[in-house]
Amino acid sequence: MIRLENVTKRYGTETVAVRDASFDIPKGEFVFLVGPSGSGKSTLLRLINRQEKPERGDVWVAGRNINDLPQSRIPYLRRSMGNVFQDYKLLPNKTVFENVAFALEVIGKPRHVIARQVPVVLDMVGLGDKADRFPNQLSGGEQQRVSIARAFVNRPLIMLADEPTGNLDPATGEGIMALLDDINQTGATVVMATHDHRVVNSMRRRVIQLDRGVIVRDQERGVYE
Amino acid sequence: MIARITYAFREMWASFRRNLTLTAAAVLTSAIALLLVGTTFLIQRAFENLLVQWSGNVEMIVFVRSDATPDQISLIDQTIRSSPTIIDIGKLRYLDKAASYEEAKRIFAADPVTLSLLTPESIPSQFKVVPLTDDTTLVRSLSEQYRSLPGVEQVALAEDEFQVISTLSRFIRIVTFVMSLVLLIVAVGLIWNTIRTAMFARRREIEVMKLVGATNWFIRVPFMLEGLLQGFIGGAVSCGFLWILNSAWTNGVSKFTPGTGISSLVVPSDYLSGVMIVLLAIGSLAGAVGSAIAASRFLEV
Repeated sequence: MIRLENVTKRYGTETVAVRDASFDIPKGEFVFLVGPSGSGKSTLLRLINRQEKPERGDVWVAGRNINDLPQSRIPYLRRSMGNVFQDYKLLPNKTVFENVAFALEVIGKPRHVIARQVPVVLDMVGLGDKADRFPNQLSGGEQQRVSIARAFVNRPLIMLADEPTGNLDPATGEGIMALLDDINQTGATVVMATHDHRVVNSMRRRVIQLDRGVIVRDQERGVYE
Repeated sequence: MIARITYAFREMWASFRRNLTLTAAAVLTSAIALLLVGTTFLIQRAFENLLVQWSGNVEMIVFVRSDATPDQISLIDQTIRSSPTIIDIGKLRYLDKAASYEEAKRIFAADPVTLSLLTPESIPSQFKVVPLTDDTTLVRSLSEQYRSLPGVEQVALAEDEFQVISTLSRFIRIVTFVMSLVLLIVAVGLIWNTIRTAMFARRREIEVMKLVGATNWFIRVPFMLEGLLQGFIGGAVSCGFLWILNSAWTNGVSKFTPGTGISSLVVPSDYLSGVMIVLLAIGSLAGAVGSAIAASRFLEV
């Protein structure tokens, strides 16, 4: 589903964010990208959703090399992915329902489809009764659930999560992980960047560890070392 | 498709209201710029009227010295009549001193000082010449010929008056054109800035839109509509001002005596409505282009 071949990405001329990274993530896998801050986890995610272009090497998504994807095709690539962030990136002036509906609205889904799909996904994340709330009326964990609902409402093949539990207490974080696990069970490939030991150790999934932009470990059913 | 259109208009309207001060500034600047553009059109048209009306019957006046002998006068008369293909002999008139004095009394009715210097004895008599041809260089060369005849004091050409008028109109046209161009650029800049501010205020939203796979056009269209609306309203305001200006001018001009030339400086109303449509089009186009530039810069990456 996702394949990187000898990918190098630098910011400016000095800072090497990712150096010669290669890995292959099959469809339906759950992968942790671990490592300290600045080790290149986020950059890897941004390379996969084409927010960044590699300096060298190729990035393949769903059998397609996305390096030479023309600018006009990038939106369609992103429709096959859901993105979840540490800071949720919810729109404060929209309700929970509207935030989730927004993702369908901007890709041109008709109203009746939106009216049908949004409640389903809100029920799935356990916020069916809070559709009319605004983000600032929700707890951090609830906001992250909204953000996951928004990422998943379009049933993407790939979920990219950048420190989704980073702002949450351990118990709330567990709930979020359970949700991402559920999504993974539906067949979606999940790639999650984190430096949360507890989460990685409890899930026992594939771990790709980075250190200063270099992949130093790629282990099935790994733990955070 | 309908969902997209309603979305675009809803977003446009929301953003339009959110930045009311900036919007007002952009609308006002484009209105003033477009008003100048419109005024340029009208001035050009008015001067064209003036020139068109006069070029049909170009007139030359040969003034004869007051001390000229009857022989000299008849020589002038014969010379003029010797070019029947160029001069309309049928319309050739000779005003003797008495007739010339009568005419002068009318011309200088509002100028008693000039008139008091003239007497029926000292005033030059004159030949009024109507050319058959429109070729002004030919007429001019004839006037040079007449000027050298004995007894001729001066030859006046209506064409010389045209040159003053056309120089004046060219000058006014250039000045107003440059001013309106500068203001139009300022207006586009202001609309550009308004849209940029609107986009900056909504950068989170735009980021989310891009991440869930909205196309650049989908993001751009509401902003372009907003700029277009600003330009269109600016155009409408300028049309209102232009109408008021033109009505006032037309009213003022109607108080002048007909035939003085000033009365021809009036623009027909169908031309005015044509100019108004052009102003609305320019305003809308400038607004859409300005915001498209702003949006494209913001959507890079």
